Amino acid sequence: MAISQDQIATQLLSTKSLPVSAAWLDNFVSSSALQRNIPLSAVTQTALFRILASDFRESLSTQTPSSLLPVDISDPTVQERRLQGPIPVQVLDIEDIGSSLWSQVEAIERVERGEAIRGREIVRTVNVDGDPEQGVDGADGHAAAAPTQPEAGNSNGPHRLIVQDAAGTKAVAIELKRVSGIAAGNLPIGAKILLRNATVARGMVLLTPDCLTLLGGKIDSLDQTWRQGRKERLIARITEMQREQES
Amino acid sequence: MTVPRILCVAEKPAIAKAVSQHLSGGSFQTISVRGNQYVKNYVFEFNFGNPWGTCSVTMTSVIGHLTALEFERQYKGWLSCPPGALFEAPVHEAVDSDKAAIAKNIKEQAKYCKALFIWTDCDREGEHIGTEVRTQAKAGNARIIVKRAKFSNTERAHVLNAARSLIELDDLQANAVAARIELDLRIGAAFTRLQTLQLKHMSEALSEKIISYGSCQFPTLGFVVDRYLRVKNFKPENFWGIKVMHVRDGIKVNFLWRRVHLFDRAAVTVMLERCLMAKKAKVTKVNQKPTSKWRPLPLTTVDLQMMGSRYLRLDSQKIMKVAEALYTKGFISYPRTETDQFDKAIDLKKLIEKQVPDENWGPYARGLLDGGYKTPRVGRHNDRAHPPIHPICWVSPTALSADEKKVYEFVVRRFLACCSEDAKGQTSEVEIQYGDEVFHAKGLLVLERNYLDVYVYDKWESSQQLPNFQMGELIEPTEAKIFDGKTTPPNYLTEPELIGLMDANGIGTDATMAEHIAKIKEREYVAVHSRGSGRNAVKELIPTRLGVALVEGYDNVVTGLPDSPSLSKPFLRKEMELRMREICAGSKSRTQVVQESLEMYREVFIHTQRRITMLKDAVRKYLVEGAAS
Repeated sequence: MAISQDQIATQLLSTKSLPVSAAWLDNFVSSSALQRNIPLSAVTQTALFRILASDFRESLSTQTPSSLLPVDISDPTVQERRLQGPIPVQVLDIEDIGSSLWSQVEAIERVERGEAIRGREIVRTVNVDGDPEQGVDGADGHAAAAPTQPEAGNSNGPHRLIVQDAAGTKAVAIELKRVSGIAAGNLPIGAKILLRNATVARGMVLLTPDCLTLLGGKIDSLDQTWRQGRKERLIARITEMQREQES
Repeated sequence: MTVPRILCVAEKPAIAKAVSQHLSGGSFQTISVRGNQYVKNYVFEFNFGNPWGTCSVTMTSVIGHLTALEFERQYKGWLSCPPGALFEAPVHEAVDSDKAAIAKNIKEQAKYCKALFIWTDCDREGEHIGTEVRTQAKAGNARIIVKRAKFSNTERAHVLNAARSLIELDDLQANAVAARIELDLRIGAAFTRLQTLQLKHMSEALSEKIISYGSCQFPTLGFVVDRYLRVKNFKPENFWGIKVMHVRDGIKVNFLWRRVHLFDRAAVTVMLERCLMAKKAKVTKVNQKPTSKWRPLPLTTVDLQMMGSRYLRLDSQKIMKVAEALYTKGFISYPRTETDQFDKAIDLKKLIEKQVPDENWGPYARGLLDGGYKTPRVGRHNDRAHPPIHPICWVSPTALSADEKKVYEFVVRRFLACCSEDAKGQTSEVEIQYGDEVFHAKGLLVLERNYLDVYVYDKWESSQQLPNFQMGELIEPTEAKIFDGKTTPPNYLTEPELIGLMDANGIGTDATMAEHIAKIKEREYVAVHSRGSGRNAVKELIPTRLGVALVEGYDNVVTGLPDSPSLSKPFLRKEMELRMREICAGSKSRTQVVQESLEMYREVFIHTQRRITMLKDAVRKYLVEGAAS
């Protein structure tokens, strides 16, 4: 007996709180040529994996208001409100607001030059040709042999995120308490997050470990564009800031 | 029975004289050496113990290296060959023309001697100079026996002991120096000729100049330029933070935000609002704990140079010169050492006792002997050749020049501080949670100054004292508000910082760092500027247009070549330095290391030749166009 779409949808909703859209599920079932005899759990797993790599606006249903952000979420006149949720959202942008933009630019440039800083020592992170002791990890050529992780190490937060729900509503979220897994350069764009009982203050979602589940995943195309354009965006914002100050 | 004759050779005339004085008990005959006015032969008798017994000694010296490595005659002219040919052009060792008389003296003396005892300084260079002396002596007397004295200061008992426990010359260390000399010659000459010939026509200012390259010089310059560009390119940004103040018992307590500051105003505003909404803050931590400020580690060369240029206002090269003079006169131990741990065998109390007569720190030294003494901290470095820098005997300030006085005083105070108790104090910390935010206030009470009394260079002062707070207590802070500020650029590099960077990145040895810094100043790649005035003036290193052009040029030459680091970066030189150590450890041969290192640099050389326009463009940008604007 073939597994019904309903079964998959129910599974995803009950275990992951993800209300999958019927259209997306149709497409998933027909395109993935489900074989008989595959257990429900395996199929659900595959579906989940696809959903995490998808755009929520396409894969999730917008039928249930409780799994969506309020449309007026960004209203700064609201001092405080609570989102019961659970609300699945995807990350569109992440930024470390504990470090200056310029220091982030400098960190990116160090990585571009293949260097990292360890105390006062400048360390080369690209493999030195013909040095067998260094070991070749990362066959794609940009291996990080040094113990320091330059990008992640410089992102101490707190972070400001822009998140988006299935209906496309966007909101600013601030990492009020340290949440492991949230770091610029480490948390990919399109990563999926579940918000539960989150507080919104003056239009900003306040992120704490209790109100957030990191589901993982990413949207490849967005993540790549974000990474490639990150330095230019930072520089553009610095330039803009300076212009504002001068005028 | 005839008394055997022994030839002793020191690295410098002053050491030869000091050692002669100790070994002879003060009575020796001084004979001039024909052709050199500085070097003397001192003749006396001394009993070296078994198996030598009483010998007739001739003690003489060289003046540093006797020989130099040079290219064969046909390669000496600047236009004699393509610069790249210097990577393999034949070289030979030759006695410097001004050292010929010294070499001849050793050869002559060796003829009559049974053995040669080498008294060069106990470091890598000294070991190599020892082999040069040996070569000369063997040329005069092929059967001469060669031994080496191991000493690290010229104090009497130490010297006598060294004379009676002779060891062998360490050829591995000498080979490492030989490898370094060959690499410096080939690489230095090849790049210097290439860049000088290519760049001299670019600007009037360069036409008469030698634009030298050195494998240590360039990374040293690279650090200066790197910092300069960071200052130049810096963009100030606004930040915001939350400041909480609470008045208790008439004391205004300022609480600092754990987050310090953030770069997002809206986020900070929301955080402050949530503090205010909470109304009350809860005291989450009240801590009073003993704290201490650690006495310094035993003194190394790098530390002497760094602290010296910070507190004594002398540049590192000057400090080393002065320290060298103090060592030669027997006042302090050998000033070139990486060791920051004292050997258990050294009687430190005896050394402290020698400082008791001093007017300034004498009473402090007495205090240490009367029970204040502590065994010094043990650092992590030991070069197995020299102890940390320490005073050997007390010297009256009237016997010293102004600079010598400063350096000697620093060495003594540092030494006494090492043998003292840590400074003790008490910190109190109060932490409050206000809304979702955490703030803290700290107070320090210095209880016992201990080593700080003698080590006037460290500062540790009591701060404002905190009133009492109870754990769990709820308070309503008197004031909470947002403050703002702007990021500021880093400062230009100072000499102590530069030494720190060179040390951390393996550029030069403790003995040569000061020379490399002096070199880039002399070549006019960097200039020294003063920031501030009077006692607070700080000397900063700023690159010249030429300095910036060279670094940018070489960086551009290797852009996009993943395996070729720029010559302005420390990586290539560091690798070379590691290979020197492998020679010393016996795990690689001299030829192997020379070949490997030449290969690395030859690759960069080829890139540089191919992309020489990059270098020219940079020079044009800074020296031609930059100079016009």
